[in-house]
Amino acid sequence: MMLDVYRTYWRINLLTTLEYRANFLLWFGFTFVYHGSAIAALWIMLNNFPSMNGWDFRDMAFLYGLWMVAHALNATFFSTVDQIPEWIHDGEFDRFLVRPLDALYQVITTPGQVFPDELLLALAFLTVATIASHVAVTPAFVVLVALVVAGGALIDLSINLLISTAAFWFVQVDALRWIALQLEQEFTRYPLTIYSRGVRLLLAFVIPFGFMNFFPAAYFLHKTSNGLGLPPAIGALTPLIGIAFVAVAYAFWRAGLQRYQGVGH
Amino acid sequence: MLEAYVQFALKAIAREATYRFEVFTSIASLAVRVYLLRVVWVALYAHNAAPQGVALHTIITYSTVALLMGLVLDIDQTRLLHDKLHDGSIVVDFMKPISVPLYLFSDGTGEVLFHAALIVPSLAIAAFIVHVDVPSASVLAAFGLSFLLGYFVGFCLNFILNCIAFWTLEISAVQLIATWVTDLLGGQIVPLVFFPAALQGAIFALPFAAMYSTPLLIYVGRIPPEGYAGAMGLQALWIVALGGVAALMWRAGARRVVVQGG
Repeated sequence: MMLDVYRTYWRINLLTTLEYRANFLLWFGFTFVYHGSAIAALWIMLNNFPSMNGWDFRDMAFLYGLWMVAHALNATFFSTVDQIPEWIHDGEFDRFLVRPLDALYQVITTPGQVFPDELLLALAFLTVATIASHVAVTPAFVVLVALVVAGGALIDLSINLLISTAAFWFVQVDALRWIALQLEQEFTRYPLTIYSRGVRLLLAFVIPFGFMNFFPAAYFLHKTSNGLGLPPAIGALTPLIGIAFVAVAYAFWRAGLQRYQGVGH
Repeated sequence: MLEAYVQFALKAIAREATYRFEVFTSIASLAVRVYLLRVVWVALYAHNAAPQGVALHTIITYSTVALLMGLVLDIDQTRLLHDKLHDGSIVVDFMKPISVPLYLFSDGTGEVLFHAALIVPSLAIAAFIVHVDVPSASVLAAFGLSFLLGYFVGFCLNFILNCIAFWTLEISAVQLIATWVTDLLGGQIVPLVFFPAALQGAIFALPFAAMYSTPLLIYVGRIPPEGYAGAMGLQALWIVALGGVAALMWRAGARRVVVQGG
């Protein structure tokens, strides 16, 4: 039953997209320039230097592609999580609490206007970057990449959920979300090995951006070092890290929800 | 009469000062980005000591100063025009005995002055993370003048973008695109001398280079004193050209509001 609802929701969403073609093209241009300027900057940098700690432009493009797909998956399927603070603020959130379905599930399935432009662009870019990086594309590789980007999307979702949950305590979380997004973009763009050891550990185990793309990319591209002296195969752990991090974020969400109901709104 | 516009600017400063959390976060995020630029360039330079004749300490100085300039240049000081067109309150301003473009300019200047003041604490924090070269007083003066010219180029560009709202009302996507294009083609992220040689001629001729690249290249000494007149002349040319376009758009747009209003 729940999946049926979700399927119908997506069918309507895609039909709407086809209806508003001009708008879709505008957002496509927006997404294209956004990622295009970041990738162009990387390309220009690496035109002047042979590599960044052993990563050339093709490696960096693959690194970017993995993050891009994971990020786009989250933005496409879980975009309404971002709206929770606004709903709490306007009092609209309360309607989720009186219905017999999990509140977070209702948030995720709230219809919104989501264009799959970023996801399409991300998949195209990752495909090109994969071919250019000369990785042996086996069925096992494809399955593992799919699992890795799904895990990466969960990491992205968790961070968004953590920030949205903070809205149960603080009214304004926009600035926090903006900073988190900026930091995520910057810290997933380069190989983790360029940072000092403390920052590497932070990005591996506290805010696990490293598992969104660096550790898996280092594994797929057979890099000799992942910066922490850990076995390369930890790059395949992204799905597990994603699930664990979602569990943490969900627990925090439940705590926030408890508190919200407790106040008696 | 002028007093009114000074008051508008002071009001804008007071308004900006109330966003204390935003001030704190913008300084914190700047500190993180200074750390990032240091590790990124150090890692790259480990494999090539001086590409295009640019030494590591020069690129770190360049990038840090570029980030600090961004505190001012990334501000959309004419945003108020867009907001007022959006909610229709521009009509009331047209009825007041003031020049609306001058009012927008004063308000924007106040906002920018507040953010310009943030350069001081930001620079102090950045100095803990990286070493910033300080050129001679005469070069600094030339940089200051060129930065000011770059600011006016940016003001005109923003004004033109916000004028588009006279016709379309919604321009957020266009503005974000403009910011990213400015940061890249202005040389804020990567110096324009690192761009492929075939593209450099065209990119240096664009107005974006007049915002960031020209003052920055003066600061690091890449543009020598004998090149100042030419470089700043080009900046001035952009101000005249874009200012002309902005004035035309304003007049056409303002007439449209009057027509709409009956």
